[in-house]
Amino acid sequence: MDDVINNLIDVCAVFMLLLSVFTMATTRMKPLVMMFSAQSLFLAIMAALVAWSSDSPHIYIMAVLTIVLKVIVMPWMLLYIMRKINVEKEVQLSLGIPGSLLAAGALVLISYYVTEPLLGSLETMERNCLALSVSMILIGLLLMCTRKKAITETVGLLMTENGLFLGALAISHGMPLIVELAAFFDVMVAVIIIGIFANRINRSFNSVDTTFLRRLKE
Amino acid sequence: MSPELLAMLAVMGASCLVCFLIREPKLLSKVMPVCALAVAAATMWFLLPVIGGETYDEGMFYVDQLSALFMSLVCIVGLGASVYSYAYIGRDREEGELLSRQVSTYYTLLMLFICIMIATFAVRSMAVVWLGVGATTLVSTFLVGIYTSNESNEAAWKYIILCSVGITVALAGLVLVYASTVGAIDSSLALDWTSLMEAADELDPNLMKMGTALVILGFGTKVGFVPMHTWLPDAHSQAPSPVSGLLSAVLLNCAMYGVIRFYMVSEIAVPGFASTILLVFGMISLAVAAFLIVQARDLKRMLAYSSIENMGLIAIGLGIGSPLAITAALLQLAAHSITKPILFFSAGSIVQTYGTRTMADIHGLPKAAPFSSFALTAGVLAIIGVPPFAIFVGEFSLLSAAVDGYVWVAAIVIAMLSIVAAGFVRNLVSMRAGEAPEGRHERVGFTTIAPIGCLIALSLFLGLFMPDGIRDWVDSIVALFGGIRYGDQLHDAR
Repeated sequence: MDDVINNLIDVCAVFMLLLSVFTMATTRMKPLVMMFSAQSLFLAIMAALVAWSSDSPHIYIMAVLTIVLKVIVMPWMLLYIMRKINVEKEVQLSLGIPGSLLAAGALVLISYYVTEPLLGSLETMERNCLALSVSMILIGLLLMCTRKKAITETVGLLMTENGLFLGALAISHGMPLIVELAAFFDVMVAVIIIGIFANRINRSFNSVDTTFLRRLKE
Repeated sequence: MSPELLAMLAVMGASCLVCFLIREPKLLSKVMPVCALAVAAATMWFLLPVIGGETYDEGMFYVDQLSALFMSLVCIVGLGASVYSYAYIGRDREEGELLSRQVSTYYTLLMLFICIMIATFAVRSMAVVWLGVGATTLVSTFLVGIYTSNESNEAAWKYIILCSVGITVALAGLVLVYASTVGAIDSSLALDWTSLMEAADELDPNLMKMGTALVILGFGTKVGFVPMHTWLPDAHSQAPSPVSGLLSAVLLNCAMYGVIRFYMVSEIAVPGFASTILLVFGMISLAVAAFLIVQARDLKRMLAYSSIENMGLIAIGLGIGSPLAITAALLQLAAHSITKPILFFSAGSIVQTYGTRTMADIHGLPKAAPFSSFALTAGVLAIIGVPPFAIFVGEFSLLSAAVDGYVWVAAIVIAMLSIVAAGFVRNLVSMRAGEAPEGRHERVGFTTIAPIGCLIALSLFLGLFMPDGIRDWVDSIVALFGGIRYGDQLHDAR
């Protein structure tokens, strides 16, 4: 039974990484947000599985919070902001799709490489998850660097955070409840504030293209 | 919970509530400094026994001498910024830069910002410290973007995006540190400061290494270490000057506090690892900031680069890690927190008088703005480390510590500090020289002179006399580090 659960956890983690990689190949905004939502759903399923197998009820709370906030509320908020400021539906890329995918692949390899020294300290089940988590964090950051819209930067940040929660689940069966609540609170408020400023940037530049944000320099 | 702590929390809560309920900007601009005074007084009352050597340790709160240092700095600078806001924001309101609605928001957020910073230093769990550092970013984003101009929106955007990434990376580090405690600490206490320190030598070294590296990288983004510093000059130059002073003098400290705490644990678990990272970040930050100061054209950006430089010096002190170097880092941290607001506040008045931040357009300071000119001059002399100001003591101790075993560090630090001094003095001289423009006069009132004057006096006082109480305080903080690597040496030295 434990094997089945461990396999399912691995499957969820792999799907999360796949969705991260897919975002690098997306040129449309709405699917990008939906991918984040789907990724969070896998995170929630995984959290529930970990909660069940490790018999730690507080992780269920995290699973529920993930579904409410990350699968429903945050994507809805992002879509709402997009509708409100009439953002163009195309994602502006500063790195083409083939380049992005190659870079994402390279990041996955790097993640397996850098997590190698840590593997001695960990159980077998967590080995893949740790590398996958680091890859998702790095791909999220890459997404933030190579996409020009304010909304895409936000999705990148949220996907980085998802990778982080995956890592926390895999390595230590979740964090103490207070840390998880703190992290949720922080992300939630950050997304609201980012939304407000995306709106302001749109009003002042008539675009949420952050390449306009190049005024402040010496 | 002790009555002092309860009183402090109650005053903080009440002040925030009062500032939230009063929406009339004229009234609020008078009430808010009074609230800040009440918060500072309540906090100092709570801190007095801690400064005297006790450690407050109860429930979710834990305050030792190190937290007391950071908390008192927030009190001093927070009070100064609130009083100075009355003059600065008042003038902005008159000139129509801010709407009255924005003025009320400003004061409410300022109060909240100060209270969150104080609370961040008073908690036991490192996870709550992390939350506090994150919350300070969220609150201050609106303070940075208060003018809603294109430039200030851009600064606020960079600030929140970069610091959110930083805080996420720090959380990743926190996860790994937590993972390293499995087996050594009961999981519900795992990130508590006291249990981390007690079990520090049983933590898994590999996980601890990677965790510490990520925490320093993440919090370091907010401290302003090069190359993660790019948000810093933008945010500092676009924020209203009282907020710039707060950001530079105490917000950077909040992140530095996180770095210092993890440094202390990590130096026991894996000696020499965190200190090497900090030494490298410190050297890079110092060197890059020195050259940025020389080529700066915007007055407030120059001051922001100087914050990067000072954070670099503090990191170098921690990186060297001997008791003297840690003393130097703490003195430098306190001295920077007291000195930098002098510069930002006087620069704020100058910018309001001249209507520009470009130093090439500012001439004849002593004529047009006698008080600000005096304050800026005093501040510049203080920040470049001229005796008898407090920064001199910090920098001198740092150099004496570096000479012992890190001569190359001392050499580079001296070279960079000379470049910084040259850059500052050249710009100051060119701003003082020349004809004052017609019809431009500064407005000086009590609320401008009092905060700046008190901070200059404090900086001189700490540089000239070091009272025994403060010396014991610093020694007891160093003793908290002392158990780490140099426990025996420190003991011999006494």
